[in-house]
Amino acid sequence: MKVKVISRSTDEFTRERSQDLQRVFRNFDPNLRKQEKAVEYVRALNAAKLDKVFARPFIGAMDGHIDSISCMAKNPNYLKGIFSGSMDGDIRLWDIASRRTVCQFPGHQGAVRGLTASTDGRILVSCGTDCTVRLWNVPVATISDSDDSSDNSMKPLAVHVWKNAFWGVDHQWDGNLFATAGAQVDIWDHNRSQPVNTFQWGNDSVISVRFNPGEPDLLAASASDRSLILYDLRMSSPARKLIMRTKTNSISWNPMEPMNFTAANEDCNCYSYDARKLDEAKCVHKDHVSAVMDIDYSPTGREFVTGSYDRTVRIFQYNGGHSREIYHTKRMQRVFCVKFTCDASYVISGSDDTNLRLWKAKASEQLGVLLPRERKKHEYHEAVKNRYKHLPEVKRIVRHRHLPKPIFKAAALRRTMTEAERRKEEKRKAHSAPGSISTEPLRKRRIIQEVE
Amino acid sequence: MAEKKRKSKEESGGGRLQKKRKNSKPKTLKKRTGPRLPSKLRKELDLVNPNPLKGGGDEEINSDEGELLANNLYEYEEAAPEEESKKNRRFDSVENFEYELPEDFKDENIASDDDDIEGEDEENNRSENSSHLGDEVEEEDDGRHMRMLQGITGMPSEAFEGKKRKNNVVVSEAYPESEYNPSRDVLEGNGRISIQDLLDPLHGKSGYSKLRKRMHQVERKSMSVHAPLPKADREKLERKVAYEQSKKDITKWEPLVKKNREAPTVYFDEDVDLGFSTVGAIASEFEPRTDFEKKIASLVHDDKVLEAHRQDGSRLLELNKISVEDVKERHNRIAKMRSLLFNHEMKAKRIKKIKSKTYHRLLKKDRLKTASAEIQMDPEAAKELAMKQEFKRAEERLTLKHKNSSKWAKRILKRGLDVQDEGTRAAITEQLHQHALLTRKMHSMKDISSDESSDDDDFDENSAGSDEDGASKLLAKAKEKTLEVLEEEDKIPDSGVLSLPFMVRGLKKRKEAAYEEGKLAINEFEASLKQMELGSGAENLKETASSGRRVFGTVKKQIQEFSNKDAHYNNSDSEDEFKVKENIEAANDQNNNLPKHVDIDAGLLREESEIGQDPIFKSFDDIVRDPGPKTTHEVAMFASGSWKKMKSENEANGNIIKPPKSVEPPRHNKDQGEVGGDSDTDDEGQMVDGTLSSGMKATYELPSQAELIRRAFAGDDVEEDFEKDKEEILKGENPEPEKPVLLPGWGQWTHVQQKKGLPSWMLEEHEIAKKKREEALKKRKDAHLKHVIVSEKLDKKAEKLHTKTLPFPYTSKEVFEQSIRMPIGPEFNPAVVLGALNRPEVVKKAGVIIKPIKYKDVNPHEGVEEHGQGGKKQNTKKSKGVGGKTIKKTNNLKR
Repeated sequence: MKVKVISRSTDEFTRERSQDLQRVFRNFDPNLRKQEKAVEYVRALNAAKLDKVFARPFIGAMDGHIDSISCMAKNPNYLKGIFSGSMDGDIRLWDIASRRTVCQFPGHQGAVRGLTASTDGRILVSCGTDCTVRLWNVPVATISDSDDSSDNSMKPLAVHVWKNAFWGVDHQWDGNLFATAGAQVDIWDHNRSQPVNTFQWGNDSVISVRFNPGEPDLLAASASDRSLILYDLRMSSPARKLIMRTKTNSISWNPMEPMNFTAANEDCNCYSYDARKLDEAKCVHKDHVSAVMDIDYSPTGREFVTGSYDRTVRIFQYNGGHSREIYHTKRMQRVFCVKFTCDASYVISGSDDTNLRLWKAKASEQLGVLLPRERKKHEYHEAVKNRYKHLPEVKRIVRHRHLPKPIFKAAALRRTMTEAERRKEEKRKAHSAPGSISTEPLRKRRIIQEVE
Repeated sequence: MAEKKRKSKEESGGGRLQKKRKNSKPKTLKKRTGPRLPSKLRKELDLVNPNPLKGGGDEEINSDEGELLANNLYEYEEAAPEEESKKNRRFDSVENFEYELPEDFKDENIASDDDDIEGEDEENNRSENSSHLGDEVEEEDDGRHMRMLQGITGMPSEAFEGKKRKNNVVVSEAYPESEYNPSRDVLEGNGRISIQDLLDPLHGKSGYSKLRKRMHQVERKSMSVHAPLPKADREKLERKVAYEQSKKDITKWEPLVKKNREAPTVYFDEDVDLGFSTVGAIASEFEPRTDFEKKIASLVHDDKVLEAHRQDGSRLLELNKISVEDVKERHNRIAKMRSLLFNHEMKAKRIKKIKSKTYHRLLKKDRLKTASAEIQMDPEAAKELAMKQEFKRAEERLTLKHKNSSKWAKRILKRGLDVQDEGTRAAITEQLHQHALLTRKMHSMKDISSDESSDDDDFDENSAGSDEDGASKLLAKAKEKTLEVLEEEDKIPDSGVLSLPFMVRGLKKRKEAAYEEGKLAINEFEASLKQMELGSGAENLKETASSGRRVFGTVKKQIQEFSNKDAHYNNSDSEDEFKVKENIEAANDQNNNLPKHVDIDAGLLREESEIGQDPIFKSFDDIVRDPGPKTTHEVAMFASGSWKKMKSENEANGNIIKPPKSVEPPRHNKDQGEVGGDSDTDDEGQMVDGTLSSGMKATYELPSQAELIRRAFAGDDVEEDFEKDKEEILKGENPEPEKPVLLPGWGQWTHVQQKKGLPSWMLEEHEIAKKKREEALKKRKDAHLKHVIVSEKLDKKAEKLHTKTLPFPYTSKEVFEQSIRMPIGPEFNPAVVLGALNRPEVVKKAGVIIKPIKYKDVNPHEGVEEHGQGGKKQNTKKSKGVGGKTIKKTNNLKR
């Protein structure tokens, strides 16, 4: 008789360290485990619930300004630094890790409306309603710097006085230029006291301007005549204008997709456009119940954050019609500016209540160092949740958010209104000659004209 | 005249400026014209030097003349305007050209030789002499200038000509002709003059050949510049071009973006700069902080040591010197420690070796004393002691060490306790006492269970002592008891919770079931009793009977199959015949069924000996169900006469049709048959006989299969049963409204109630509920399907696992199902593929700055390889959201 004996080599089964895991062999024959779908469904459900349990997005508030915060800028070269400007002319540099002011930049007489930093993070540009553009040297961040916080106010490198008040400023990526928005769009050089170029198309003042980080010669601006304008520096001329039904408060280019940008509109929605096809929006991101004040893309290009006049901050997928996340606190007032940090893991909002707030971009993310096994587990949970997200139970849990009453009610009201509108349209269509009334999709409906 | 006017206007306008410029650069002139004098002055000049050609009244000549004069008078040469001189680059040359040149050109006849334009030529021709003169002067001048340039730069003159030629463009009139802007032809009323005419007189002059060559060139590619468009249009065009250009530029990103979007995972954590990670690098950054570290550092970084290191190291040895005292001290200290250690060791060894009992007893006592003291002192020790005691007790219970089980105790007991001396006896008693002490608790616990076991024992004895008589007795007893139970159940409680209507209903239902079972049990008992009576001699019969009973289903089948063959067996209704047939069948089936049945019988007997009812029923039920349910199922379907129809309906509806329901009637039927069969052997025979006899009649007619079956199931109305079942199910799913019950004092005043009966609203409500139910029944899917029950009971638990609609990115149900088919967990997949299966869409690291996209060339067809790697996750992502759209569009573009 032949006896079969299990033979295993000791090399394979000896652990190198006592902490190592014992090697386990599994039979992956699907016939042996027939409940896998059920098991994974339950896991997905639990993962969704756990996400809710661990959702603690708010990290802390940065207190220090004495007026509402109007603008922010992140340091593209230094993760922990964020600049904020307030309506009283105060500019501060914050250390996100310690959530304290590192230094202040006094000088503006009126409100600071625009802030931006050069790509190397050495120069900060600010502008405001006092008709000045100021360039500042950013202190080099070291460990010792953050300790003393008493007398670190900076002097401007240069002050350029110009003819009109400014509404915004943005710096070119990897370049020497920056653009200001005011009565027109001015392009400035670091070393010149006057703009090197000026674009004016129409007589309305420009509200916001944003350079394309992928294509540094392209910039987009929004004006108070409800228009969006594209400029090309190489041609030194404006390229195209798009007039919408409502004003666009802010624009953000997708850093990973240089052709796409998203506009934060006054009508509570955000519109994603392809710069090459402006006749219709790529996607309409709905959910806010009041004007969207600011928008910023995550450096990954997969999502963006918006701050709204309805006192909430929302995070959208770049191709999602509805928000993935909503952040609000009792004390947060109108949000005027939002920023994604350069590592795409935090969100910062500046609001009317003079505070900057630091949020996690993923509400239930575990901070700190993760062990590989821990990370794998998280990944698995995420994957399983993602797989079963369409099933009603999981979907309900994942989508559920507890909202402040006013926002909830306003959202319900908006829904009823749009629904009523839709119904009316439908009826009108039904009662008129076929083909005489055509419904435009929402992606096109808000666009009035594309001006050449 | 118009020209004159214009000129004077300009003169008056620009006079001041020109004067100012006069001294700044008189020599760097490109074009030279007469001085712009105020008209007053000019008049005076005219007076002083009256022109012979004044009759012509032409301004040009005047001015030319004036130039000569002016040269004398003022030494004036007009400076080029600042815009044209391009001294500082603040003026845009292009614009200057476009905006100012036409006017300039027209008004001031630039007399340089590169401006060979018709108009000028005409003029020149007209006032030939003077113009010749002027031309010559200019030519000369030009030559001088050229030479000067050559002298300065050392380049051939041709190089400078090119520069000049730039301006050599024919510019047509800037404004359309009108009375305000007449063309020169109109003004002068003269025919055209060719360039050749002008060139001829110059023949043989110094620059002639050059001039002629240039003329040829101009003639060959003469071009006209159109009048500029209005500004708005121009800007629009510019913008359009700019947009097109930037559009084209952006489009270059498309393949890269597409690739990123399609990738199952995007990585942003690739280039993490960890700095230097070698040991040396880390060590070099070390800074001593604590005192000890500082001390060490001061020693290590001592100048002498470093110096020694840097040299050959021989000095290190010198530095390594230690004083004699230090060494001695250290030596002593170590020796002392060693000796202490050794002494301790020796002591322990000695104590361990001591065999004296007294010593150990004393030691133990000592230890106990300290222990007891400790117990009183701290509760922790007390707890420990208690634990120890408990452990001892448990050990005692386990080993029974003190229960005279040791070798020593056994020997003593064997020899007799009386024989022993007192000490031994005392020891034995002591031991027993110890045991008692240790196991006291155990006894107290065991009391109850022992009682039970005794009961069991009794029972066992009973059962063990049973023989055939006992069995019969037992059966009888069981039957009695069952009957008793059945009767008992008839009593309906008329008070308490159980009297409530729904409880009563429930009880009734349960009772019915129990009653049936009870009846079955009784039958079974009777049957087995009879078997007992027949004794073991009738085993054969019993066997056949049992086999007959159990393979009823198959028997039927055989009947169907071999009806023709069987026909001649069924000549008579006699029992013998039946037996023969039974035997044959039994023989057919024996091989398969016999062992099993015997087994079951044994089991039956065993179970029957027990009084409990349920197990019997259970086993009985099991047995009943045992014969292949499939055959019965089929038969039933066939018998209902709607087999085919049902099937078609099945397909058409695609709904959940309950097969078990349609199975049920035949089961009932079979149960009945079985009951009959079990009641006694005769019965069974008759029963089968009945069916067979009908078959027998048909032997002569050879009836069809359907006929046979119809006859076989003549007794039981399957359709009606089905209908009943359906009704029941309908009632279950759409319950009938409860009949309004009159509760005195409720709904209306009592006296009104007494007169009128039920209040009207109650009746109305009842009516409405009824109507609603009927409507609901009509709406059911199986409302018009006579032989089908479509359950509309929703399984809420299963509903959770389905989506109501197809999720967005998916276009078909199959794809969606496919996407969630394979598990992704670590239990179901090897570790190698696990990472790829669970990888998130974006991999990033906290604290790593993500830079915006950088352009790199991507081969659009390269993506195919990656598809393979990505696996099935790719497919789901591909058609997601906006991404999918753009991708599609780009594809279209490429095509």
